[in-house]
Amino acid sequence: MRLHEYEALDIFEQNHIPVPRRELVSTMHDALHVAGEIGYPVIIKAQVLVGGRGLAGGIRTASNPDELKEAADELFTSEIKGMPVRKALVCQKVDIVKEFYLGMTVDGYSGKPVIVVSTEGGVLIEETARTSPEKIAAIHIEPSFGYYPYQARSLLRMLGLEQKLITPWSEIIGQLYHIATRYEALIAEINPLVVLSNGVLMAVDAVLEVDDSALSRIRFPLPDRVDRIENPLERRGREIGVTYVDLDGDIGLISSGAGLGMASMDIIGQKMKPANFLETGGGITADLLYRCMELIMMKPDLRGIFINVYGGINPIHEGAKGVIRYMQEHNVKIPVVAKALGNRQEETWEIFKSGEVHVVTEAATEKAVDVLYKLVGPGKKTDAGRPKASAKGK
Amino acid sequence: MSILMNDSTRVIVQGITGRIGSAQTHWMLEYGTRVVGGVTPGKGGTTTEGVPVFNSVLEAVKQTGANASVFFVPAAFVLDAFLETIDAGIKLIVIVPEHIPVKDVLRMRSYAIEKGVFALGPTTPGILVPGMGKMGIMPASLFAPGRVGIISRSGTLSYEFAGILSENKVGQSTVVGMGADPVVLRNLADILELFENDKDTDAVIVVGEVGGEQEEKAAGFIARQMTKPVAAYIAGRYSPQGKKMGHAGAIVRGSAGTVTGKHEALKAAGVEVLESPIDVAKWAKKNKLK
Repeated sequence: MRLHEYEALDIFEQNHIPVPRRELVSTMHDALHVAGEIGYPVIIKAQVLVGGRGLAGGIRTASNPDELKEAADELFTSEIKGMPVRKALVCQKVDIVKEFYLGMTVDGYSGKPVIVVSTEGGVLIEETARTSPEKIAAIHIEPSFGYYPYQARSLLRMLGLEQKLITPWSEIIGQLYHIATRYEALIAEINPLVVLSNGVLMAVDAVLEVDDSALSRIRFPLPDRVDRIENPLERRGREIGVTYVDLDGDIGLISSGAGLGMASMDIIGQKMKPANFLETGGGITADLLYRCMELIMMKPDLRGIFINVYGGINPIHEGAKGVIRYMQEHNVKIPVVAKALGNRQEETWEIFKSGEVHVVTEAATEKAVDVLYKLVGPGKKTDAGRPKASAKGK
Repeated sequence: MSILMNDSTRVIVQGITGRIGSAQTHWMLEYGTRVVGGVTPGKGGTTTEGVPVFNSVLEAVKQTGANASVFFVPAAFVLDAFLETIDAGIKLIVIVPEHIPVKDVLRMRSYAIEKGVFALGPTTPGILVPGMGKMGIMPASLFAPGRVGIISRSGTLSYEFAGILSENKVGQSTVVGMGADPVVLRNLADILELFENDKDTDAVIVVGEVGGEQEEKAAGFIARQMTKPVAAYIAGRYSPQGKKMGHAGAIVRGSAGTVTGKHEALKAAGVEVLESPIDVAKWAKKNKLK
């Protein structure tokens, strides 16, 4: 779960990382009031959970109430990468001398946390990594050994920093590592970490992504993770316990694994367009697939449904019962094609057939998608380009 | 004949008394796997599917001579049970459960490597040796004995590829699910090395997906050390970009684990890149695999 900047800044502040004065607002009127207290100039930042927010116009500077009025008006009536702006953070505009980068993540290949620093912070940090690798330094932390402050000091020396910056910066690295550990963060990032004209280091932005699998055991208060999903269909998916991503095609998809779901999207995408990605994981029941059908049918103008499931851990015969119960109760008229193989496959096929589902018994998804294509044809949406996510999956 | 599992593999099932654990024990036994015991703390002395249940892994090892374990333990208890299993001397562990916190996986991985234990997962369907046995949840009907090795990040896609090959009269030597999580207990290259050294495997299929850098790193191993033909499919060409690990991940990796980046790395290593799963049949035919 990705936290909003304002939530992450609060956590950073509680853990002794210097952050700017700021307040969360949801109207232009409140923004003016807060700026009056903080003092101009201020920065107003849209609180939306998308990357590249600054480049998309979500961060504005205002030197006086007129400028802030205009900026706030625009933000609250606009969308940033398809996300409506409901809240914004009004921040003190600090006097920046230099911008750095500090980030932590988990390196999946080495199986270790990694801390990354750079003398070039800001929105183009990934570009810097490609073009000037000497400006980046990274250090891996041994899981069995843990983090020690000398690692931060040697990391910063690799960048050739002057000593008077090394001490405060290594303290911030220690604090951020502490936060990342306590919140089981997959990403903890300060970009930029800035040096002010008075020499103080300050985090003027904050990214914190918490491991979804650890949410139940984190002992610190966290916001609700379902509430923050903007797309109502994706929110419903989370509520019923499946991964649903809304797409702009017209073929509904249910799959019993993420890899199979992605491959199904790739194959459908060759001739048609998926309306969604839906992955059940290993918890299929009749009720779950009934609710999955209900969810994918919420999209208007669906032309066909493709069900691709394997019975390894999943009782697919139970799933089939849920699908046909939905179809009978709601009088579904669009073609439904199912490829279902594995444990109790024959029983599953019989159940599907009793509900007028077109059953494919061969393993290749391509053949099943061909069956669907013969039933529904290319459709209007197919040539409109490739599917795009309307919102983040997680 | 196979990698990881062979005639002397004696399997215990951890979490055997649970709903999924007992159902999967049934399927494993039916496939001919030597399941010699199960472990559920507090349920020792009972039997499930005719298999004796023990209170601890050490007791199970002492009583049954078990040397491999498959997990159906709830995610929150996996780390503890995993460390117990390593300390009891088990050398092959399959972690089927999903949603295990990454922090736990990092500790599990580091301890397994330190102790020389080969562990797969989390979120893996396990290992299946056609005609001999299986540890995990792979549905037996899709597999046939033969000489092609399969390694897959996705569980369901390992079934898909085995199924397509079996329908085309091409069998498999061993099918391995490496786990679908961002951090897994063994890297792809380690499993490729086992297939390279297996005299009963003629060629290997890698089923990867967008994200991470397993395939890119394995390409280096393939270029340097693999003599057997390798084909690869990468799922997720049209998938929405939602899994990006922030700037730090992209900086460390140099790329975001895109399908294109993986294709380029694999092609440069001499791997045959399959555009769609069904193309695996043509590849097997071209290489006269069976």
